Amino acid sequence: MNLSANDILIQDARIYTSADAGIIDNGDIYIKDGIITEIGSGLEMPLNTTVINGNGMQITPGLITAHSQLGLVEISAVSDTVDVRTKDKLYSASYNISTAFNPSSSAIPHNRIHGLTRAIIAPSFGHHVFAGQGAAIGLNDSESSPVLNNSVAVYARFDSSASEYAGGSRAAAYTKIRQSLLDTREFIENESKVLSGDWRELSLPVHDLQALIPVITGDKPLVITSHRASDIRTLLKLKEEFGLSMVIAGASEAWMVATELSAANVSVIMDPLANLPSNFDRLGARLDSAARLQLAGVKLLFANYVSATPHNPYLVRIAAGNAVAYGMSAIEAIKSMTIYPAETFGFADKFGSIEIGKLADLILWDGDPLELLTSAEHVIINGEILPMVSRSTRLRDRYRDLQDEQPFIYRK
Amino acid sequence: MCIKINKVLFFSIVFALLLNACVNPTIQEDVVETSDPVFVSTYKPADSRPIIITNATLLTGTGDQLEHTSILISEGRIKKISSQLENIDNALYINGSGKWITPGIIDVHSHLGVYPSPSHAANQDGNEISNPNTAEVWAEHSVWTQDPQFTLALTGGVTTIQILPGSANLFGGRGVTLKNLPARTVQGMKFPGAPYSLKMACGENPARVYGSRNQAPGSRMANVAGYRKNWIKAAEYKKKLDEYQEKLADDENIDKPQRDLQLETLVEVLKGNILVHNHCYRGEEMAVMIDIAKEFNYKIMAFHHAVEAYKIADILAENEICAAMWPEWWGFKHEAFDMVEEHVAMVDAAGACAIIHTDSAIGIQHLNQEAAKVMASGNKAGYDITRAHAIKWITSNAAKALGIEKHTGSLEVGKMADIVLWDGDPFSIYTRADKVFIDGVQVYDQHDNSLQPVTDFDLGILDPEGERL
Repeated sequence: MNLSANDILIQDARIYTSADAGIIDNGDIYIKDGIITEIGSGLEMPLNTTVINGNGMQITPGLITAHSQLGLVEISAVSDTVDVRTKDKLYSASYNISTAFNPSSSAIPHNRIHGLTRAIIAPSFGHHVFAGQGAAIGLNDSESSPVLNNSVAVYARFDSSASEYAGGSRAAAYTKIRQSLLDTREFIENESKVLSGDWRELSLPVHDLQALIPVITGDKPLVITSHRASDIRTLLKLKEEFGLSMVIAGASEAWMVATELSAANVSVIMDPLANLPSNFDRLGARLDSAARLQLAGVKLLFANYVSATPHNPYLVRIAAGNAVAYGMSAIEAIKSMTIYPAETFGFADKFGSIEIGKLADLILWDGDPLELLTSAEHVIINGEILPMVSRSTRLRDRYRDLQDEQPFIYRK
Repeated sequence: MCIKINKVLFFSIVFALLLNACVNPTIQEDVVETSDPVFVSTYKPADSRPIIITNATLLTGTGDQLEHTSILISEGRIKKISSQLENIDNALYINGSGKWITPGIIDVHSHLGVYPSPSHAANQDGNEISNPNTAEVWAEHSVWTQDPQFTLALTGGVTTIQILPGSANLFGGRGVTLKNLPARTVQGMKFPGAPYSLKMACGENPARVYGSRNQAPGSRMANVAGYRKNWIKAAEYKKKLDEYQEKLADDENIDKPQRDLQLETLVEVLKGNILVHNHCYRGEEMAVMIDIAKEFNYKIMAFHHAVEAYKIADILAENEICAAMWPEWWGFKHEAFDMVEEHVAMVDAAGACAIIHTDSAIGIQHLNQEAAKVMASGNKAGYDITRAHAIKWITSNAAKALGIEKHTGSLEVGKMADIVLWDGDPFSIYTRADKVFIDGVQVYDQHDNSLQPVTDFDLGILDPEGERL
């Protein structure tokens, strides 16, 4: 469905690069073969180029949500369409949701037309402190293969809910996580004996230990859902003990530990709108959390955690705008849904910023990209201008004129 | 998505009479005679000196945007709106330059206090999942007044909230309308004279909850049979009560019919004193509910979670029923699968009463943003929606659905001075409520710690010497 076989020239727009160039006013972008090849002003216009007049428009990199269930749920209450978790106790860290990803989900065009171009999709928790492995996907055409990397991180939890699955106490949950890491280390050092059965029984099956190897070597992030300040401090000790690449998700009270997080180089995945003290782990939740964390130098990745449905991860844009309303810088807020998640999950060389050589994932907004009254005018992924159509817009058009003579059922 | 229930009120109105002694606004309506008033509102606004906010931009909630306008509030009421106000001794002057004023924001669908934060098994008090008809339960009896979600909603300019039971049951119970200022008692929060509501629910929730127990209703058709059976009983009970009243009036000696809490609620609906708020997603189910209301001669005030209202917007307009919608929630149930983001605009354009509700303790803090998102998607699709019009979705239209539109929901002389002063355009993401007034009393100030209310729960919880926020 490539509507833009030609090269594309976008002229005269305000460009939020999410890169060292910051914001470029009245800038042009040239896209050739899906790649950004030039950024400047007054760029030449070769023949056969699709030109978009960007005057009055503002451009950001395509938005990326750092945590979602896009393509894993069609209808939450229809269990046949839900693949977010396993309650099979045989699989924990090795459970990989990427094979469940449905690129034809109606939620994908729905989010794409609002500017979401890439997503990290993550498993939910089943019966274990480890949920499994998440993947990175593209929201471009379903005919291509939109799974970009089928294992970008391992997901775990250390919070009040973990206590339910660890004998009733978060202390036991911590022991489980730590023992799993110790056993992974033991497995690496004694792999052949473990595989031949000539070793003591370890706390996880071999396939789960294998899934934790890149975590223990620091090559793959361990994303841990945790909220209470004291829990996050405990996790920082775990990170130090094992040399992990750690990301804290949820993180209601992370601002109370901001200095330590920054010093430990631990990023935080959060929803700036999640300010309810919805359980006793989250009493410190507040709307200026993002601003406080940014001030301390913590790298933030945004996701939509508060919407009652996994179907609208594009609303990360509204959450980012609220972070700015409560004190965060706009440039940093945009980075938190573009380049920062790309960096954390290993795609910064391909997308997440507007720089020469990057894939052309661009959103042309009709105003301030963080404003409520702003909409995406054009969505470009891999240099393709994508149609602004979803199942929802089809229904809108069908029912737009209730007085029309044509029966509804024939309106297409 | 959550199964939530509404409660109905008994005799709305009586609170008003009891409040007549106060300086402040009361609502005069007929007293319901089914039984004596109980759980009467004791809400009484504090005394306040006159306040004049000068030179602001007003969105009146009646369809107007007034620039460089001043407003006088005094004795709990809006007294004057004018570009030129004369000086008043002892008035507090607030410079409104660059600021905007709207009516106090109203959420017609909330579970604050009945599903509070922090949430745990011991305080899930919003749904009485024990019978498909629990018209006898009242949401107010579950309200935890010190739920910190109330004060969070206040920072978003919300002054009036309808607290509903959940949607597990066909008849969930009575809902209650509160002034959003936590008090020691729920009676101290009850909106004086606001009618009670009856929460009813269509669709998946009751059929799933009871069907899974192998009892009726296990299907949508059994839902409908359940409504009708109960309305028949209510009509019979009403007849008995009417006969009793007639004979009493004729001085005949007659025993009063046995009281029945469940039927009293339904009878008050049939008498028009309790307003029906009906959780209903699908277009065809709303049309069926409208026919049931005609069969038994009661009125549906609003369909809530009306995801498919856009498909039958003309029918809603014709029957004068409001549709309360989320801006963009969808996909959590099959009956919520056909959401379109222009639905509020489409319902509105058809001439029906469109409302944005939240059903969310997060959303209620940002109802102005919810309205802005809907306005943006509507205008993108070619509807011509102004701020002056869109504000009605969260103010005057909401007041209408709650039966309190004569008293609040718009900036008009004589109405309760429930107003929000915003530090900018309320349709901008960067704008926050600067000051909030309920009945002419300033109850919140973004910049003045002494006017930032703190619930009991928030007090000393993280820091013994401080507040939670």
